[in-house]
Formats: sequence, C-alpha cells, structure tokens
Amino acid sequence: MRSIYTIAAFLLLALSQAARAQHLLVPMDDDQSNHLKAYGLTYNALLAGGKGEWLLNYRGGSFLLPDTPALRREAGLDGVTVEPLDDAALSDIRGEMSGANMDAVPLEKAPKIAVYTAPYTAPWDDAVILALRYAGIPYTPIWDEEVEHGDLKKYDWVHLFHEDFTGQLGKFYLAYRGAPWFEEMQKTNMDMARKLGFPNIPALKKDVAEKIREYVANGGFLFAMCGATETLELAIAGYKVDIASEFADGTPMDPNADSKMDWSRSFAFRDVHLEQSPFVNAMSDIDGHQANVPGRRQPLGTFTLFAFSAKFDPVASMLVQDHRSVIPDFYGVTTSFMRNRLKPGVTVLAEEPGAPWVKYIHGDYGKGSWTFLGGHDPEDPQHAIGNPPTDLSLHPNSAGYRLILNNVLFPAAKKKPLKT
Amino acid sequence: MPSSRPKIPELTTVAACALACALSCVFGTLAPTMVHAQTPARESAQARAQSADTNAYIRGQMFEDDNQYDAAAQAYHEALVQSPASVPAMLGLERVLAELGRSSEILPLLDSALVLAPRESAFRTAQLRTFRSLGEADSARAAFERWVRAAPHDPAPYRTYSRMLIADGRTAAADTVLHAAQSDLGSARGFAYELAQLRAADGQWEASARAWRAALTDNNFLGQAALFSLAPTPAASRDAVRSALKMPPPSIGPLQALAQLELLWGSPRNGWDALRVLRPDSAVVAAWTEFAQRAADARAWLVARDALVAANEASPRPELVARAATAALEGGDAAGAVQLARSAEAKLDSASAARTVLEAHLRALAALGQPNEGERFLSLYSQYLSPDARDRYARLVAWGWVRNGRVDRAKRLLQDAGGDDDQIDGWLALYQGDLAHARELLSPSTNAQPELLTVLALLERTKAERSPEAGRAFLTLARGDTLAAAADFGAAAGTLPEAGSLLLATSARLYAARDSLGSAMAAWKTIVDSIPHAPEAPEAELELARALRRTGKTQASIQHLEHLILTYPESAMVPQARREMELARRAVPTSADSSSQPKR
Repeated sequence: MRSIYTIAAFLLLALSQAARAQHLLVPMDDDQSNHLKAYGLTYNALLAGGKGEWLLNYRGGSFLLPDTPALRREAGLDGVTVEPLDDAALSDIRGEMSGANMDAVPLEKAPKIAVYTAPYTAPWDDAVILALRYAGIPYTPIWDEEVEHGDLKKYDWVHLFHEDFTGQLGKFYLAYRGAPWFEEMQKTNMDMARKLGFPNIPALKKDVAEKIREYVANGGFLFAMCGATETLELAIAGYKVDIASEFADGTPMDPNADSKMDWSRSFAFRDVHLEQSPFVNAMSDIDGHQANVPGRRQPLGTFTLFAFSAKFDPVASMLVQDHRSVIPDFYGVTTSFMRNRLKPGVTVLAEEPGAPWVKYIHGDYGKGSWTFLGGHDPEDPQHAIGNPPTDLSLHPNSAGYRLILNNVLFPAAKKKPLKT
Repeated sequence: MPSSRPKIPELTTVAACALACALSCVFGTLAPTMVHAQTPARESAQARAQSADTNAYIRGQMFEDDNQYDAAAQAYHEALVQSPASVPAMLGLERVLAELGRSSEILPLLDSALVLAPRESAFRTAQLRTFRSLGEADSARAAFERWVRAAPHDPAPYRTYSRMLIADGRTAAADTVLHAAQSDLGSARGFAYELAQLRAADGQWEASARAWRAALTDNNFLGQAALFSLAPTPAASRDAVRSALKMPPPSIGPLQALAQLELLWGSPRNGWDALRVLRPDSAVVAAWTEFAQRAADARAWLVARDALVAANEASPRPELVARAATAALEGGDAAGAVQLARSAEAKLDSASAARTVLEAHLRALAALGQPNEGERFLSLYSQYLSPDARDRYARLVAWGWVRNGRVDRAKRLLQDAGGDDDQIDGWLALYQGDLAHARELLSPSTNAQPELLTVLALLERTKAERSPEAGRAFLTLARGDTLAAAADFGAAAGTLPEAGSLLLATSARLYAARDSLGSAMAAWKTIVDSIPHAPEAPEAELELARALRRTGKTQASIQHLEHLILTYPESAMVPQARREMELARRAVPTSADSSSQPKR
C-alpha cells in the first residue's frame, strides 16, 4: 500500500514538472519576435531578485532565466519569445557552448540606472530613453544639480546623450538663437549655472564633466552617445583651458587651446584639434563624419561589429551581442570617432571597414569603464532637429538599439576572474 | 556577367551609319551644333566633319539606348573630336560617363569646349553638375565665378548655381549667390522662384510665400512647385503664408496655389474662401471647376458644391449644376441637392436631365424621406430611361420608402417595376424579420456593405426562422436613426442568445460611432464578462480598453489589455492590444510628444 502512495506521489511530481520546465531560454537570434523587450524581461527578472545568465554568442546572445509564472506572464504580455528548457536540454546547450566561442555569464543584480538629461523639452529625442522606455527598464533622470550634489554614486550605470559639455549648447546659437526651444535651453542652463555658483554655462559643464570623470574613476559604468562623447572628452581634457567661443562665455576660445589640452585625463581620445571657428558647427576633429559641416560631411556607410572571444574577453563580447553583425550607420552631432585620435588601449567594438573612423568603442578608466557609441538614433539615420521621436514598436528587432541595451545589462554581469 | 542584350552586329552598324546619314540630311537641325563661327573657306571640310560627327553622335545614342555605355562614350567622344563644341554630344557623353561612374573624364572636354564657346550655358551647367556629383564644392564655386566673368549680365549662372545649392541643402551659400545676383545685375527680379525655394528650405515660410507670390503672378505653371515647397509649413506659420499669398491685388496663380495648400492642410473651406474673391473670367471659372474636383476628391463635398455653383453662375452649364447636386447630396445637404437638381432639370431637355441629374435628384428625395415625390419624378422621366436605369432608379425610390419604415410600399414599387433583385428582396425580408427568406436570398457580393457582412454573420450564427426584433434593428439602422438602432440591436441580443455577442457588438459599435461611449462600454463589458468565449470577446475587450484609456482610466485599461493578451494569445487583436498597452504605459511616444525627454 505504501508503495502505491509513493508511486502516486512520484507521478504527481513528474506531471507538475512537465507542466513547468526549470528554465526559460530567451533566444536572441531571428527566432526572437521582440529583441528590445527581451532586455526588459531580463532586467526586470533581476530586479525582482531572480538570477539569470547571458549566453554569449549562443543564438545571438540569448538569456537564460528561471521558469516562473510571473516571467511567462510578462513574456506573453510583451510578445517576447521564450523557450521552456528542462535540465537535460540545458545540459545539451552547455555542451554545445563549451566547444565553441561561447560562454555563460551570470547576471546577478539589476543595475541602478541614471540618465543625464536636461529638464527642458528639447526638439530631439534620446535613443537611450526611447530604448529604456520601450523595454520597460526603470531609470532616474538626473541633471547638473544632482551631479553637483554627488548623486552619481547612487547609480551603477550613467548615460549621457546630447549634452554639450563644452558649454556652447551645441553651437545651436549659430542657427537657432531665435527659436523658443533654444532660448529656453539657454535660460535653463544659465539659471542652473548661477544657482550652483558658476559664472557661465561652460564653467558649470566642465565641472559636471569632471564629476563624471571621477564617477568612472571610482568604479562607475558610463555609456555615452552622439555629441556627449566628444564634448565630454574635450571638457575633461580642457579642464583648465578656455575652449568655449565668445558667444558662450564672453571671451573667445584660447587660440593655443590645442597645445594646452591635457589628454592624460581623458577616457578615449588624444591629440585632438579643436575647431576654433565659432561659425563652424563642429567641436573638433574627433568626429569622422562632421554631419553638420556642409563642406566636410561624409556619407553614411555600414559598420561591422567585431567578434570577440566570449571566454577570454567577456566584457567586449557582451557589448557586441547582436543578431546582426553589419548594421547601417546613422548620423549624429558626433557620428564616429577618427582612428588616429584614439588612445592606445581603447577597444574598438565596431568599425566601418576601410574608413578612417570607428563607430563603437570601450575602455577601462580607474576602477570603472566607459563605452561610446557614435550617432543619434539607430533607426532614424538622418534624424533632424524637430523630427518626431522614433516609435520603437515599429522596430522591435532593431540591431542598432540592441547595442544600447547591451550596455544596460552589462553592469549586471558578475565579474569573473580574467582568464588572461 | 555576360549581357543578355544582343551585341550590335556589323550589319546593324552599317544600317546605323546609313540611318545616321539619312537622319542628318532630313533632320539637319537636330545634328550637333557647331557653336563657334565658321568661315566660308572651311565650309566644305566642316560639312564632311559634321556628317562624320553626326554619325558618331547617332551611334552614341543608339549604344546609349542599348545600355552599352562604354561604346556610347567612345562614340560621343568621337563626335566631340570632330566638333569639340557640340552640345548634344557633350550632354550625351555626360550622361553615359555618369552611368559608368567616370564623370570626371568629361572635365577636360568641357574646358576645351568652353574655350570655343565661353558663354554656352549648357557647357557651364554640365561643368557645375559634374563638380557637384564629384563632391568638389570649391571647384563648383570657381566654375560659377568663371561663368559670371564670361557672361557678366546673364542671370543664368546665378540661377543655376543657386538652385544647385538649394537642392544640396546649402542654403546659406545659395543666399550669398542670390545676394550677389542682386548686386551684380542690379535687381533680384527674375529670381523669385529661387528665393522662394531658398526661404522655404530655411523655414522662412512667410518670406517664401511672398517670393512665391511674385513668381506665380507671372508664371502660373509653377503652382505645383509652390505647393511642394509650402506644403510643410507648420500650423503656426500658415496664417502668415495665407496673408502673403492673398496680398492685393488678387492674382489667380498665388490664390490657386493657396487653395490647393488649404486642401492639403485639411482646411478646404479656407481654400474656397481664398479663390472665390477672384473676378470671374474663363480662366477663373476653369480654376474654380478644377478646385471643385480636387475638393470632391478630398471628400469636401459642400466646398465642391459651392465652387461648382459659383462656376455655374459665372458661366452657366447644366452639367455643373448636376455635379453640384451630387456634391451636395454626398455632403449631406439633400435639400440643397433637390433644389439644384430641379434648377438643372428646368434648363435641360428631359432626355439630358434623365441622363445627368435625375439619379442625384432621386437619391436626394430618398434621403429626405420623400418617396412619393420620387415615384412622381420616376414616372415623369420613365420614357427617357433604359430598362436598366429604370430598375436602378426604382430601387433608389424603394430605399426612400424603407427610410420611411414602409417596407410594404418598397416591395410593391419593386414588384411594379418588374425588376428581379435577390439582394433587395433579401433585405426587405430581413427588415420584416423573415430570417429564413433573407437567408435564401442574401449572399456575399463583391461590393458588400459592412451591414451585409453583419447580416450574413447573423444568419450564419442563428438558425431561427423569424426575429422581428433583429429585423426592426436593421430597419431602424437603414432609416438612419443610429442611436435607436443601437438600442434595438441591444434588445435583439436577448432574443437570439446564439447571436447575442454579435448583436451586442453591433450595438456597441453604433453607440461608439455616435459618441455614446458609456452605452458602448456597457455593451462591450457585457460581452467580456458574460460571453467570454464569443468570437467578439477579444475585439470587445480591446475596444473597452481603448475607451477606458480615452476616459483617463489607464490602469483599468491596462488590466483589460493584459487579460486580452493572456486569454486570447492567438487572436488577431493581440498586436493591437500590445500597441495599446505600450501607449497606455507611455513606452512609446504618442503623437503629441515632440521629444522623448522625460517629464519631471
């Protein structure tokens, strides 16, 4: 009799196991119906206290999550493709991965995210905010006041996008000085500079850039796109140099600014030539495309992601996980980075083969690390001021936007001891 | 890759040469032009050379037509060796070199040609085009300056170069060129078109409109260009554009452009208001008639009606009145349509009236619920109608009886007319609640109305023989009383439980169409809560969620959307539900968002 009960109990257990597998695989290859929301699913699983794994180079950089009713529900609501796996199937996958350029990175903790963004309504969109909102990943907007008050240390991951850290407000003064949005932008920045005790906007922005540099040096993760990449570097290297034109701070740029820049302090670039003319809508010769300078503007091509060793170079591998390795390029205030301006040791994650510029770079700085992606909006290559923001529900499989979201999850990865 | 095109055999080449000779004799004026002066002593030699270069030129054209660009380039080149200043050969060479990606090779030939013909605008323009295609902005600028020096009082260099700069988005440079034109030529007159394009490219809409007004006053044919240029004007700047184009004295070109702009901007009445101030003459009447057609195409029927009436008053033509009557009817002004139709009928002979205006008249009378009057007119014009037309018009009048709720009179009229139409008989049976008969007669047709689809779905869903309640609901709908029909469909749902969800969904749709959102939501909720397995349930839940979001109940909306997605994962409504959920959660920008910046 007792043995009958045991068999019945065993059968019940087996049936319940069959109804629910132990794991959910979130494939990130072409089988995935919504790549961008898959990042949100993974992030929110970590946020809820769950653990996961990032299966680098396995089916486009898939995620492995525990099979819970809540996750199945969220995946169903968001249209994210998931595949239930039992232990045997997972074992097969691990076997396949062990013999190839693949590796599993544990994901342990949802990083706290801050997005540096101004409080006024600028007539352009922010690709990272669009991606985070669409994926359902929570973030905190911060600006100069929060940075100056030391709030950066509250966050694991900070994103910068369109800010001009040279304090010249993107040189929009040249073409848009009468536009209401520009006047609002100028006034809000000036009010903030005065409130925080700075004489002008360039002085404020340089100090904010310095705080960001310290944040990275102390272990923070920085991701920057578009004009923020270039101007942050100029502000950091030109900390003690007047690099702003007269319209911004009342004095012309130091004519010897180039020679006075301290590139030992910057993250990515060196020996940069600053654009001295206030009438040329460019900041320096970092950007290869110079989209806003008619005589210099270069056409858009495609860029190629490098394949890194998942086992020996997991960080770079995480940053380039994608279901496409060749991606159409897109303009921005800063679209690309000239190779001859990169510091030695900078990791190039994506380049346009044969071109003198690269698209996507990464490096370590002090205890932290930074990643720069050129361009403004991966799904709107010619995004212009005043254009409506991109609706990502029309691009749920965007390979370009995946690069942004790779950066969001990358700080969630548990650091493994380096194998090299 | 081998070409699939046959290569020109020798015979063909010989034939081409013969053809070339013949063409050069017959169409001497088409032969490449020697633009430099000829001396009598050289005439004979040059005649031979001209014949040779003509042959080469025509060979070039034939090769080019055959997509053999290398051979074409060689032939054009030969023609230019014979006649270095031949414009057609040079332009041909420019075309084929561009196809071959060897545009730069033409530059030395252009230099040689310009030594012989320094003022030839075709060469100068080709030179500018080539530099532009090569991305050599500085060389283009230098070429422009050389052209200005070679032809000091000619506006062509300024015009050509500035247009090129505008097309490239280099508006500041174009502005400089036009300023230089004004200074060098003493006036900017003649550059209105370029200035208009330039100002529009810079977003200076009012200035652009002023320039367009100047350009259009003399050159009405530029209307389409003006339309293209000014259409993107933001709403805030449109009044300034309107004022600029309306500046006195009224001129047909600018006002016609403004009228078309108003159509594009969704304000057709403003368009007609702009155009009506013109003093009528034949050109103005033509403009009014054309505008009426465009307004009708944009479904601005009453505006079309007014323009046609005005055109008819200025230049009476019965067909204009007939069109005006139709427009009035389409715009919902049935009484106006009757009045216009009667006025046209009074001026037309009976046969013409029967052909042009009677249909609109009968439709208008049916819409007004005056089938008696319709029957009178039908009988009056009966002898001028073909049997088919008589049958069709009888159906129109019958609908008038239906609108009055007199299904019996409609049936009698159709029987008297002798026509045999299952669809009409099926509808009439339905209105009388005779579902069995309706089921026999009604079938899907290629031009099925939405109501027919609902009826067919109902007849499919229930096996009932009779349902006076459903018949009444459809009849009330046909009579145009939407709210009462919605209530009738709701009531009928209780009497036909097997089709209850369909009738309730129809009721909800009708309530929603008349902005009676509360009643619509109640019907959708009944389906979602009480008949969750009905085919209409996912659609009802989606509509309910949308309505909840519109009324500010975002959380409740999201709950319903989540329920829909998880309960009906295979439904075709799921992608729409996800989209709604993203909007409700503000995960994607709404149409009101100008940027992605978070609100703090």
